[in-house]
Amino acid sequence: MKLNLKTLGIFLVAGLLLVACSEPPEIAAKAAKRPDFAPYMGADNGFMTKNWTPGNLQSWTEAINKRNQNQSEYSRVK
Amino acid sequence: MARMKFICDTERCIECNGCVTACKNENEVPWGVNRRRVVTVNDGVIGQEKSVSVACMHCSDAPCMAVCPVDCFYRTDEGVVLHDKDICIGCGYCSFACPFGAPQFLSKGAFGVRSKMDKCTFCSGGPEANGSVAEFEKYGRNRLAEGKLPLCAEMCSTKALIAGDSDVISTIFNKRVTVRESNGKYAGSQIWGWSTAYGPSGTPVPVPTPADKIPGEKS
Repeated sequence: MKLNLKTLGIFLVAGLLLVACSEPPEIAAKAAKRPDFAPYMGADNGFMTKNWTPGNLQSWTEAINKRNQNQSEYSRVK
Repeated sequence: MARMKFICDTERCIECNGCVTACKNENEVPWGVNRRRVVTVNDGVIGQEKSVSVACMHCSDAPCMAVCPVDCFYRTDEGVVLHDKDICIGCGYCSFACPFGAPQFLSKGAFGVRSKMDKCTFCSGGPEANGSVAEFEKYGRNRLAEGKLPLCAEMCSTKALIAGDSDVISTIFNKRVTVRESNGKYAGSQIWGWSTAYGPSGTPVPVPTPADKIPGEKS
């Protein structure tokens, strides 16, 4: 009986020590990969261009491709 | 779906560093970190000096992603390679793996302690809400979500640096080199694959330009 109590005590101390070594759940949760927000969903910061509809992929793609042509003199100067 | 890429036209880059300045200002990149820089070769050699603006090239098969021990990188549907700074441990493996020197580390404190990695995001932020303060503080501006393109390219005065959908910018570049060829300048249009920025698989190796066609080249 005496031996059993001693063993139990050792297990308790070992258990407490192991708990101290574990990672708090809030830190463990942060290490998980999070999904990103697609750019065509738009940004809620007041700097968005006006010629497309946030949430519409086709509208965003067309606006970006149109803006892309500003990088070509052959498109801008005719 | 768009696949975003940069192309820098070395025939147009004048080493003004406008792209570097625009990037630093737009994203409030800290002192000691340059997400973009201009590299010049053959400095001072008449006819042979060339400059190229380099940042993260958002590789299709990115070596930084392959070596990251904590798997903090991800590729968006637009082909932009981004990373999560909450996961990054600042080990520097990506810096050794990257052929362009894109991953940057802010040296903080004694003994060269590294910060979390910082790199070009193609002005598309990171895994925070688009346009949020948290996203801006960690990754910089999210111009793609605002319907804009990276400021380095949009600011480029000679339009040497162009950014956007690989098919679109390849077409723009193709037009330029075709015009150059028609004006008697050396060839170049045939070395580009038009479906991808770097040529589709099976693209033949480009034929080197003959020395007598390169201005200033000694034959």
